[in-house]
Amino acid sequence: MQASRARLFKEYKEVQREKVADPDIQLVCDDTNIFKWTALIKGPSETPYEGGVFQLAFAVPEQYPLQPPQVRFLTKIFHPNVHFKTGEICLDILKTAWSPAWTLQSVCRAIIALMAHPEADSPLNCDSGNLLRSGDLRGYQSMARMYTKLAAMPKKG
Amino acid sequence: MGADDEYLSSDSDVEETLDDDEGGDFEFSDDDLDIPDDVDETLYDDECGDFERSDDDSDELVDDRGEKAYTVLTEEDIGKRQEEDISQVFAGLSIARASATILLRHYNWEVNKALDSWFADEEKVRKDVGLLEEQVVPIQDTENVIECRSCFDVFPRDGMCATGCGHLFCKLCWTKYVSIKIDDGPGCLTMRCPEPSCAAAVGQDMVNELVSDKHKEKYSRYLLRSYVEDQKKIKWCPGPGCEYAVSFVAGSSSYDVICSSDHSFCWNCLDDAHRPVDCDTVGKWALMNTNESENITWIFANSKSCPKCKVPIQKNEGCMHMTCSCKFEFCWLCLGDWSTHAEETGGYFACNIYEKAKAEGAYDEEEKTKQEAKDFLDRYAFFYERFALSEMELGVITDAGRQIIECRCVLKWTYAYGYYLPESEHAKKNLFDHLQGEAESGLERLHQCAEQELQIYLKEDDSDDVHHLSTSLYDFKVFHTKLLGLTKVTGNYFGNLVRELENGLSDVNSR
Repeated sequence: MQASRARLFKEYKEVQREKVADPDIQLVCDDTNIFKWTALIKGPSETPYEGGVFQLAFAVPEQYPLQPPQVRFLTKIFHPNVHFKTGEICLDILKTAWSPAWTLQSVCRAIIALMAHPEADSPLNCDSGNLLRSGDLRGYQSMARMYTKLAAMPKKG
Repeated sequence: MGADDEYLSSDSDVEETLDDDEGGDFEFSDDDLDIPDDVDETLYDDECGDFERSDDDSDELVDDRGEKAYTVLTEEDIGKRQEEDISQVFAGLSIARASATILLRHYNWEVNKALDSWFADEEKVRKDVGLLEEQVVPIQDTENVIECRSCFDVFPRDGMCATGCGHLFCKLCWTKYVSIKIDDGPGCLTMRCPEPSCAAAVGQDMVNELVSDKHKEKYSRYLLRSYVEDQKKIKWCPGPGCEYAVSFVAGSSSYDVICSSDHSFCWNCLDDAHRPVDCDTVGKWALMNTNESENITWIFANSKSCPKCKVPIQKNEGCMHMTCSCKFEFCWLCLGDWSTHAEETGGYFACNIYEKAKAEGAYDEEEKTKQEAKDFLDRYAFFYERFALSEMELGVITDAGRQIIECRCVLKWTYAYGYYLPESEHAKKNLFDHLQGEAESGLERLHQCAEQELQIYLKEDDSDDVHHLSTSLYDFKVFHTKLLGLTKVTGNYFGNLVRELENGLSDVNSR
C-alpha cells in the first residue's frame, strides 16, 4: 500500500513536469484519492478519432505497479478493442503483458497507439471488428467518426 | 550338399535356443528392473523399447507383459527423475542449472528434443526460451545511485539485481514481482524480466535468492507438477486425492494401469480401466448414456413432425386426420394439407395419395431409416440393460462381501461374550444361545448365496445364444434380488444382536 502510494506520488510529480511536454495527454489525479485518476487524450491525427477528446478513468490497485491499473473509456467510442457500453479496453499491456516499468502516462500513450492501430481480431466491439475484418474500412471509419463527433467533440453553437 | 543341409538345420536349432535364451533374459531383467529402474532410466527405457519391438509379432506375450509396461511413481521418484533429466542437460550443454531447467520445461521435459534443438540452432533456442547470451544493457559498475524502474526510488548498485538481460530493479521490487507471479499460478514457470517486452527468463536460482520459503516451496511444486503434466510419458493418477503418477512405456498393447493406492484406470483416456474395449468405445458409450442422442433417435423413430410447425407428434390412435396444436390440419400418411383430402382420396383411414407415392417408392428411404432407428434403439436397450445390471451387480456383491466380513467379526466376539456370561443366569444364557444360533445360520445362508450360487453364473458364461442369455439374465436377476435381500436381513439381524448384547440382554426380563 505504502509502496504504491509512494510510486503514484512520484508519477504525480512527473506528470506536473511533463504536462507541457506531451500536449496530447492530460493526466489528473483525484483530489482526495491518489488511486483514482482521469485522463483526457486527444484522438490521433489521420484517424476517425481526430479532433475528439476522450476521457479515461484509471482505478489503480494496491499492488501497483506490480499489477496493472484498470482503465476504461468514459467517452463513448466506436473501436474494435473498446467495449461499446462499458468502455472496457482490450490491450495486452493492461493484462498479461503488464510490466511495473509502465506508468499511467505510458499507458495513455499505448491507448492512443491502440486508437490508431485497431486489432480487429480480438474485438470487444464485434460490429466494429466485423466491419474491419470484412474489409469495409469506409464503413468502420464513418461509424467511428460519427461517434467521435457525437460524443468526443464540444457541441457547436 | 548333404553337409550343407545339416549345417543349415543345426543353425536354425541354434537360433531357436538363442531365442529362448533371449526370452529368459528378458523375463529376468524385466522383473529385476522393477527395483533399480530409478538408477538408470535410459537403460530401462531402451530395454523396454527392445522388448516391445521383439515381442510385436506375438500378441499373447505383449498381453502377458502388458501389465509391466508402466511404473507407479511417488512424488519423490518424480523429483529424482526430474533432477536426472536436468543434470543431463546441465552437463551436456554446460549452462547454469536454472537455465537447463527453463530449457527443459520449454521442450516439455523431453531431454533429446531440448538437446537436438540446442545443437541445431542455439541462437534461436536461446531467443525462444529467453536465455540471453549477452546482456541487453551492460550492468554498470558504478558508485552512483541508480533509479529502480518500478518504484522510482534510487538505490546503490548492490541494492539492485537483474536476470540475464541486465535490466536493473531494486531487490524489494524484484521480490514482490516474483512473489506475485508465483501467487498467480503455474505461469510463474515462464516468468520474464519486468522490463516491458524484455524476453529474458527468470529462473529458479533467482527465485530462491529473492522470495520467502513459502513461495520457494510453491515454485518448486509447480515445477514438479509441470514435469508430470507437460510431458507425455507421465500422468497423475485420476483417483480422488491420489498423489501417485504413472509413467507409461509407449507401444504397449494395454492401457490399463493400477496405481499403488489400487486405483485402476486407463492411462490413455483416464477413465476407469475398461479392457477389452478401446477408449473410443468408452467415450461413445458414455456419451450415449448421458446424452440426449438416444432420445432424439426415439423421437425420430416413433414420431412425425407437423409439416407446418415441425413439432414432433406421436400418433397413438384414431384416424389419419391430424390437427396439430398449431391448428394446422394434415394427413398423417402423406403429411399433405387435409383440405386436399376427401372421400375420393380414401377418407379418414386411408390415403390414396400416400399409397400411390409409396408404390412409386417415394417413402422407401424414410421408412428404412425409421426402421433402422427403431432397431438401433432395441439393440441399445438390450445391451444397456445388461451393462447397467453388471455395474449394479458389482456393488451388490461387494456389499455382500463386506457384510459377511463384518458379521463374521461380530460373531467371533460373541463367543467371548458367551464365555463371560455367568452360568447362573439361565434365562440370559438361553436367549444368548438362541440369538447366536440364529446369527450363525443367517450368516451361513448369506455366505452360501454369495459364494456358491454366484459360481453358477460365473461359469455359465460360454453360451452366446441370445435366447439363452435372456433366460440366464432372468435367473441372474432372481439371484441378485436374493443376495440383496439376504445382505439386508443379515445386516439388520446383526445390528440388533449387537445392540441386545451391549444392553446386557436386558430384554430377557421383559419376555
